[in-house]
Amino acid sequence: MGIRSGVLLLAAIAVLPQTVLAQGFKPTRTVDLVVHTGPGGGSDVLARAIAVIAEKEKLLPVRMVVINKPGGNSAVAAAHLAEKRGDPHTIGLFTGVWLQTPLVSAEAKVTLRDLTPIARLVLEPAVIAVKADAPYKTLGDFIEAAKKNPGQLKQSGGSNTSRDNVVRQLLQKSTGARWAYISFPGGGERIAALIGGHVNMMVIEPEEAGEHIRAGNLRVLAQVSEHRLPAFPGVPTLKEAGFDVPVVPQVRGMVAPPGIPKANIDYWEDFCRRLTRTASWRKYIADNQFEDGYQNAADLAKFYDEFTDRMRGILNDAGVKTVR
Amino acid sequence: MEILQGLWDGFSVALAPANLLWCFVGVFLGTVVGILPGLGPPATIAMLLPLTFSMNPTSAIIMLAGIYYGAKYGGSTTSILMNVPGESASVVTCIDGYQMAKKGRAGAALGIAAIASFVAGTVGVLGLMLVAPPLAKFALSFSSPEYFALMSLGLALVVLLAGRSIIKALLAALVGLWIASVGTDLFSTTSRFTFGQMELLSGIDFVVVAIGVFALGEVLANMESREDTPLLQVPKGLKNLLPTWQDIKDCRFAFANGAIVGFLVGTLPGGGSTIASFLSYGLEKAVSRRREQFGTGVIEGVAAPEGANNSETGGALVPLLTLGIPGSGTTAILLAALVLWGFKPGPLFIPEHPDLFWGLVVSMYIGNVMLLVLNLPLVPLFAQVLRTPAYVLYPLILGVSLVGVYTVSGSMFDLMLLLVFGLLGYLMRKLDYPAAPLILGLALGAGMERALRQSLMMSQGELSILVSRPISAVMLSLAVLILLIPLFGKFNAWRLRALEQ
Repeated sequence: MGIRSGVLLLAAIAVLPQTVLAQGFKPTRTVDLVVHTGPGGGSDVLARAIAVIAEKEKLLPVRMVVINKPGGNSAVAAAHLAEKRGDPHTIGLFTGVWLQTPLVSAEAKVTLRDLTPIARLVLEPAVIAVKADAPYKTLGDFIEAAKKNPGQLKQSGGSNTSRDNVVRQLLQKSTGARWAYISFPGGGERIAALIGGHVNMMVIEPEEAGEHIRAGNLRVLAQVSEHRLPAFPGVPTLKEAGFDVPVVPQVRGMVAPPGIPKANIDYWEDFCRRLTRTASWRKYIADNQFEDGYQNAADLAKFYDEFTDRMRGILNDAGVKTVR
Repeated sequence: MEILQGLWDGFSVALAPANLLWCFVGVFLGTVVGILPGLGPPATIAMLLPLTFSMNPTSAIIMLAGIYYGAKYGGSTTSILMNVPGESASVVTCIDGYQMAKKGRAGAALGIAAIASFVAGTVGVLGLMLVAPPLAKFALSFSSPEYFALMSLGLALVVLLAGRSIIKALLAALVGLWIASVGTDLFSTTSRFTFGQMELLSGIDFVVVAIGVFALGEVLANMESREDTPLLQVPKGLKNLLPTWQDIKDCRFAFANGAIVGFLVGTLPGGGSTIASFLSYGLEKAVSRRREQFGTGVIEGVAAPEGANNSETGGALVPLLTLGIPGSGTTAILLAALVLWGFKPGPLFIPEHPDLFWGLVVSMYIGNVMLLVLNLPLVPLFAQVLRTPAYVLYPLILGVSLVGVYTVSGSMFDLMLLLVFGLLGYLMRKLDYPAAPLILGLALGAGMERALRQSLMMSQGELSILVSRPISAVMLSLAVLILLIPLFGKFNAWRLRALEQ
């Protein structure tokens, strides 16, 4: 290689990044991925998986690190992102809690709308399960039993704004049956209460339920999703079981701080699209029995507005005071 | 026979050179993480999780479990030396551990913590190996009424943690219960005592209060004295730095108590090492012949909770491995790790992956031996920390406390809270209020309230649910009995006085 061609090559290298820049935004230093749980929480584990996939599949020119901002039921993380207005190197992972907390807590002032929605990534379906030796073979059986003994049957679940309770509220409203809802903070305690026979029913994640069904501890009556999940081909969806209630999705997705340019939104939206197409991501989704819920920024904003309105109505029906 | 076969297979897995190495890496990291306050096992495991994707899952679980139980060995170090509880489970260790250090017996306290951890940790693994499936079934018969009774039993211990005045102890416990109620109510999503602060929506972190009241309170109280001499003596000679034979004999019951209480509480999905350590401390004090000396540096007061804390690990793995049910933050992330590696934790996990289960069990025996060998030589080294003069030691404690709290949440708000609770700890010391009941109330408050409300929701408001279930009835009666102990004392004193007259 002569000196001239060497110089040309150098010139080409020098020019290259600029042409890329001219096309749009590209991160130039480590990207912070903010989550609202401490290390080990659901969002944290997902964020660390995303960071690994991004590195393995070379989706980013820089490294991505997970920043934990726990506290305030997601309000602290949302406020942190709001403070980072215009920062091109900070993004966050949101979950349903980010949508619900500002609805019920006056202290949580930052809604998802105050941030920049980027993309929805994951939908978490759920199934309705009872103990394997329970007399209910279908969801209809359970509803009938609940009607006969109003308030006697029990369901274990999370806080009263969680999807579990929303599904209950919707079913109660459409059928007129009533049963008790008992909140447990940890997923483990909810399942233990069901398998131990202390409650009668639970809205459970398919991945959690799968092994208990295989071992003969649990039976699934219906699935809370639009389509039948691959792991439960013989179980009807709520609609198929004759309960025409809206399917409430549990969502996870990406947000950015407010006030970032359009080019940055496009970049992160494209990053999410490329991420969801990788084989590693598909395997992660399949292992956890999630549904691919990719939705771009514009659709996500629309989804958010619809979701918030519907949640507000459901929570008010359930006697929960909403503040926004 | 099946167990022998399993053990044999387990040894062939755990003794493979690579697995031995990962076991050592795990327990070593665990020890380091345990010593550093703030950075706990869940955070460490979460950070290392991405690295394990390319590892063999057996080696990976052996290493991650090593971090989990290894951290519990180191957790007592700062509790004993500086009155800084590194994790919620080592709060109880501060009570007698730090007093021992003040009397120049830091080495003995650190040494007995390591020995108790080893004994109870090994018993925990034995339990995991021998009785996991039937015990998991028993643990499922525990529900909210039983948890309420268990927490009541724990809270009744307040009369045993009291200093001179029961009234002051009860007041402190009430403040602890109140602090536990700060945050968003789980059942109604209503904010309680948040004063418009969004940081308070998820409540006040237990470790912030414990470090504030114990460590900062101690530092502030010592700032008043102007003496320049080192306050704590450290005996010379290696022999004087380790527990004596008499110490070990004194702790015989504490070892058994810690091992059994820790393991049993660990198997309950709503249990946890904090409750386990408090319960075993209370039990130790209740049956001790030198009850009145507890809190002044009694060696059993270190051995029992440290043992319980370690045996809890074996217990906590029971519901995780036999049912796929995590009971704590650390087991939840171990569960996530198993799923990420492509396993399906659940009731069929052990029968379908016997090599992984037995490899893990045997690696835990080996890991516990490694930890004892690793930790005992560190005792004389750490005891030297106390040779530093007060004007270095107290700022050091202050620094360790601030860094510890900041690593938990990375929030300035928590640092401000730490200062507030430091001030509270100082005032309590000045006014002779005991700190332990406050911490006990805080540790049990949220869970107790939850369990009571859950029970009443189950029974549609009938209080009888608490006494109509046998396990809960037994525990509640025990709680009442413990509460009556001081009355018996009073009655006895009155009777003796009457006799003299």
